[in-house]
Amino acid sequence: MLDKVKKYSWIMNAISKLKWSTKKEVITHFLISKKKYIPKKKTNADVDNILKCALCPNMCRFDCPVLRVEKSETSSPSGKARIAYLVEMNRLNFSDDVIDLMYKCASCDACKEWCPFDFSLGELLIGVRKDIVEKGLVPSSLTIFKEKLEENHAIYEGGITSLGLEAKRGDVLYFAGCTTLNKRKEVANANIKILEKAGINFTTLSNEWCCGAPLSILGFGSDFKKFAEHNIKAIRESGCKTMICGCPECVHTFKELYPRIGLKLNVEILHTSQFLLRLVEEGKIKMKHLKEEYVYHDPCVLSRKLNICEEPRELLKNIPELKLKEAQFDRKETRCCGMGGMLGVTNPKISLEMAKNRVSGLREACNSIVTACPTCELAFKNVNKKLRVLDLSELILETMEE
Amino acid sequence: MATKNNLKKYKVIYRKKELSEKKKKEILKKLCDILGPENVSDKEIDKISYSKDYWPIALRWMLEGKIPALPDYIVWPENTKHISDVIKLANEEEIPIIPFGEGSGVMGGAIPIKGGIVVDMKKMDKTLEINKKNLTITVQAGINGMTLERTLNKEGYTLGHNPQSLYCSTLGGWLACRAAGQFSTKYGKIDDMVISLEAVLPQGEIIRSKNVPKSSTGPRIDKLLLGSEGTLGIITESTLKIWPYPEKRTLQSYAFEDLKDGLESIRKILRKGIFPAVIRLYDKIETARHFYQTKKAKGKYMLILVMEGDKELVDLEERVSHEICEEHGGIKCGEEPVLHWFDTRFDVKEASEFAPRDVIFDTIEVSVNWDKSVELYNSMISSMKNIEGVILASAHASHFYPQGVCFYFTFGGTPVKEIKPNDLYSSVWNAAMRSCIDAGGSISHHHGIGIMRASWIEKELGQSFKVLKRIKKTLDPKNIMNPGKMGL
Repeated sequence: MLDKVKKYSWIMNAISKLKWSTKKEVITHFLISKKKYIPKKKTNADVDNILKCALCPNMCRFDCPVLRVEKSETSSPSGKARIAYLVEMNRLNFSDDVIDLMYKCASCDACKEWCPFDFSLGELLIGVRKDIVEKGLVPSSLTIFKEKLEENHAIYEGGITSLGLEAKRGDVLYFAGCTTLNKRKEVANANIKILEKAGINFTTLSNEWCCGAPLSILGFGSDFKKFAEHNIKAIRESGCKTMICGCPECVHTFKELYPRIGLKLNVEILHTSQFLLRLVEEGKIKMKHLKEEYVYHDPCVLSRKLNICEEPRELLKNIPELKLKEAQFDRKETRCCGMGGMLGVTNPKISLEMAKNRVSGLREACNSIVTACPTCELAFKNVNKKLRVLDLSELILETMEE
Repeated sequence: MATKNNLKKYKVIYRKKELSEKKKKEILKKLCDILGPENVSDKEIDKISYSKDYWPIALRWMLEGKIPALPDYIVWPENTKHISDVIKLANEEEIPIIPFGEGSGVMGGAIPIKGGIVVDMKKMDKTLEINKKNLTITVQAGINGMTLERTLNKEGYTLGHNPQSLYCSTLGGWLACRAAGQFSTKYGKIDDMVISLEAVLPQGEIIRSKNVPKSSTGPRIDKLLLGSEGTLGIITESTLKIWPYPEKRTLQSYAFEDLKDGLESIRKILRKGIFPAVIRLYDKIETARHFYQTKKAKGKYMLILVMEGDKELVDLEERVSHEICEEHGGIKCGEEPVLHWFDTRFDVKEASEFAPRDVIFDTIEVSVNWDKSVELYNSMISSMKNIEGVILASAHASHFYPQGVCFYFTFGGTPVKEIKPNDLYSSVWNAAMRSCIDAGGSISHHHGIGIMRASWIEKELGQSFKVLKRIKKTLDPKNIMNPGKMGL
């Protein structure tokens, strides 16, 4: 508080020197003007902060992966905020183009890294999407996506929701996540084998639903809650003390999004990179040497939203002779794989171009990629099926001593 | 079902005669033939997105539910020929062309006040060559500033051009406005960095200058484009000087009792042939604003210095500068204030924080020789403060030469009584411009003219403005290129 007083003393000092009548007007403006510029009726969108973003010169634009593909002012971070502001103020209708634009974001938080207000445009747009849901204006493709998700409990058709292992109580719960269960089963298998070899008393869920992040991102708040409630109940019943997930989006959802809707898990939630590093440090697993080179790609949710940059690297350094390379943009400056923010569903073309951009950036460092997110792995494989892309867990299992 | 947009909900400030529906379709088709349909838009949301730059008055309009001006089309050329063909079409159809980089200009220079075709340069952003022997980079003009700097840093080089808009502006914008970066005292302004360029002139002709360090082959036609703000053509590519990334950087700061002492120290440092990359001297208000955590600077004028380059040279420069500052009563305040400046130099929050509270902020940068510098500072500050509604007027000196200095003024105010916010802007600007000219300064050091300063350019340039108008008429007889800017 004292620091804030000192910080603004220059302007308070100037105001104190004004004539009484002017001083009164300045203070009145300062206190009441803002009401003119935000909607009278409360909206889901945080219009106050959207306006701040809209009035910025777009200081984060150079790092926005969507803009790097689209090259249009409309798709720039502040550009989207301006359009969002105009529709929320009812000065522009929610036309098809406007609605489409409100989903054109990778929620990768690259913007947040450079924002003096610490805004994430991805988060600001969720409120606008909730308004789109309330107005019944959701594009039909997204309504279908939501309905299928509700039916399958996974973002993939005919969704698999279990690893088929015996349900039991365990100290450690491995929550695979729907992308891993359906599209990267190898990663789930690797994790299971590592846990078995390390002698961990672990369990899995017999009916694991999608964490709900896609629903939250797309603005389907009440549906998200249903998914959260199911998972919370199942996790509690497992009796676990620690839950590990290989999908950064799941970790973020459990740790950050569930508590925001009043659902808090009283268990330790870790990303697999953190848990595997712990196993190494406790001497429960040991790796043999591997004379290969890999570049590590930081998934944006893991590095920027969860601040987990070093654990994956530390883990990899425990593989003797493995040469770990770094991309030009690493750690919190990483670039999104293109699948963030459900962009693969809402804007597959932009998503693929983003993946291509990231792959070419990574390949400047090394041709083999190791990462820690099943969705990033799929995105990169989508660019080139022959590309060597591994999950940390796969590399650990491959090099683990018996 | 989504509903269609309509234009009735917002007022457009700069209205123009609408093209007939038939004509609109005809031009759209021709543009699509030239650039491909993926590089052309006439969508309403795109028109709105390209209706403004970062001119504070345009931001106020946005708040008030008004749109500054709407273009008819937006195009994204991928090569120089695309631009040439679009300009030729614009001449045939007599429709304006407005070049657009990233819209960070603060003078309204990129607002399509007469409609027309906005040419967004962002797809022309390739790095063509980094020549380490010649110390040059050749790049297309649509490249973002930070992307350009990061490309060089990766190879161990720097351009040395770091404006506050580094993250949100393009090379083309810098060249078209003759921009200056915060490290300009050592590395020069963008116009000092240009070796050669390629540009498309107002009738579609493409010119390229030679990539050589210097020649004596008549007047430099290409240099006409620098500072032309899109009124004489579109710069498409440039070769620029680069520097090896500095081996060492030192940070130092001093607090002075008086503005004169601070300015004298800087003048003497430069006289010695020492060019610190960054020199910034803040008046009392700005010292309180930016360095409130430095107790030794309370009530004083803060000077920050950044020296960088070869280690031995930097050490020498720092020692000599230190002696000069101490001789003039400078109190050493250490690295901390400079680190704070590095941490906060891209925090542009004023418009976001204050505009919705009806408090206006703006900046005015001017240049002046040493012998008139203190007088100009005093007279501009008092001219701004005299306007009713102004809460404060302050400045720092931000760029330096052996001959003089650039002052960067900030004013803040609130519309009192019946005055409208934008009228307050205009009153302060007019007072400041008048006072600057009277005190012997130049009305712009690096932000350019655009709309905001257009009414002052004739007074600034005198007879030369008439010559500029004749040049414009010759090159652009139909006034296609960015009409209504710079008084042209």
